[in-house]
Amino acid sequence: MGMLDGKFAFVTAAGGGIAGAIARRFGREGAAVCCVDVVEETVLQTASDIEAAGGKAIAKICDVSDEAAVKRTIDEIAAAFGKLNVVVNAAAASEPLHTVATMPLDTWQEVVDVNLTGMFLVAKHAIPHMQAAGGGQFINISSTFGAVAWPNRPAYMATKGAVRQLTRSIALDFASDNIRANSILPGATETNRLLARTPTMDQVRERMVPLHPIGRLGQPEDIANAAAFLASDQSSFMTGSDVVVDGGFTMI
Amino acid sequence: MGRLEGKVAFVTAAGGAIAGATARLFGAEGAAMACVDIAQENVEQTAADINQAGGRAIALVCDVTDDEAVKEAVEKTVTAFGKLNVLFNAAAYSEKRHRLADMPLDMWKNVIEVNLTGMFIVARHVIPRMQAAGGGSIVNISSIYGVVGAKERPAYCAAKGGVQMLSKSIAVDYAVDNIRANSIMPGPIETPRLLARNPSIEAVVTRHGARLHMNRLGKPEEIARTALFLASDEASFTSGADHFVDAGYTAF
Repeated sequence: MGMLDGKFAFVTAAGGGIAGAIARRFGREGAAVCCVDVVEETVLQTASDIEAAGGKAIAKICDVSDEAAVKRTIDEIAAAFGKLNVVVNAAAASEPLHTVATMPLDTWQEVVDVNLTGMFLVAKHAIPHMQAAGGGQFINISSTFGAVAWPNRPAYMATKGAVRQLTRSIALDFASDNIRANSILPGATETNRLLARTPTMDQVRERMVPLHPIGRLGQPEDIANAAAFLASDQSSFMTGSDVVVDGGFTMI
Repeated sequence: MGRLEGKVAFVTAAGGAIAGATARLFGAEGAAMACVDIAQENVEQTAADINQAGGRAIALVCDVTDDEAVKEAVEKTVTAFGKLNVLFNAAAYSEKRHRLADMPLDMWKNVIEVNLTGMFIVARHVIPRMQAAGGGSIVNISSIYGVVGAKERPAYCAAKGGVQMLSKSIAVDYAVDNIRANSIMPGPIETPRLLARNPSIEAVVTRHGARLHMNRLGKPEEIARTALFLASDEASFTSGADHFVDAGYTAF
């Protein structure tokens, strides 16, 4: 018996490092997983890995900032699976470094559209299916930078802070429908995105490990562990909370 | 000597109750005031009151979501007063109550645009002027609903959470320029807008119940006095911080 038997999950950014690990873990724990991304090759890989490991997965290409595409994709998967009761909202843009004064308005808007409005749209169209299923869980991926600051990331930080509040809003308004919503705040996690501006992971570690009391950076599996817990009935009294998975980065 | 001698302040929503009280207080403490709002009559009244009381103020009609209009308003301020070194970002509104799944996308987008993107737009035009002035103080109005959930206000909650993080982002990126940025989180405040949405003040007090420890709503002047401290040099070591003016609402 897996932790997530009877769960039917919609996981965005499932072609990426963190959400890919979450999708694979969900598959191993018995959930049927819809792997969603804008990049075809990587999301097909995730779905194929889940199936190869004996799980059930379907890949869908969908841009979370496109309402019609989101509604269509969610309705399709709810029909294919028979129900939908878990959503992992992990899609996030990767914008260049800017301060508020140097950032073009277009760049700001793109980040808001994907990181925040995208989560709103997925939630909006998933909720009716969760209500029909008798309840469900939202796991919204925020960030330590949704709680504390870091240089040159104004749009990322503003949207990740907003995500925590969106989670609370869903938790408050839909508790009576047996829907729970929690945020995960990952710290520095070793994925391709972390290499966006630094040539090697060793160089990232050299700079960042000293800021982490635990003595290492995160692995995608660390985030997947928290997500599996939040999606399962083991966390049944948790809603509207922030689950910080950061090796102690924000506690010092 | 007023507490804001030598300051020139740009105050958005200055035709409204909270920012209007703030603009009047800033003017009384010696700041030259650019009163900014989308409603001409109200903002002209605020400026007239300040001038009549012996202060210096101009009224500027401007929509904070209009990048060109904001640029122009900032230019007019510097032309009138020679510099700009205080910003009070207060333009905001709340959507009518909707649970997330019933909320039209347009409604969501507009709340995010005014409450969050609007603050970004104003800040990006003001910051270079503060750099030219050798420093400055930015005060952004968030809300208790930027850290706790409010029923049926997903966009407002998300936007106000975003504002909290935007302040921290500015604080981190611009400390080197001697620019401070802080958030105020007002609790429920007695304003005409609140009265327009509710049958009476008593009804609002009753609705909040035990959380309203002082058994009354806050007054606009109580927000203005916190803003005065943050705008002045008295707050010289305070940056990236959240200031709750909520009678213990979120402490409980």
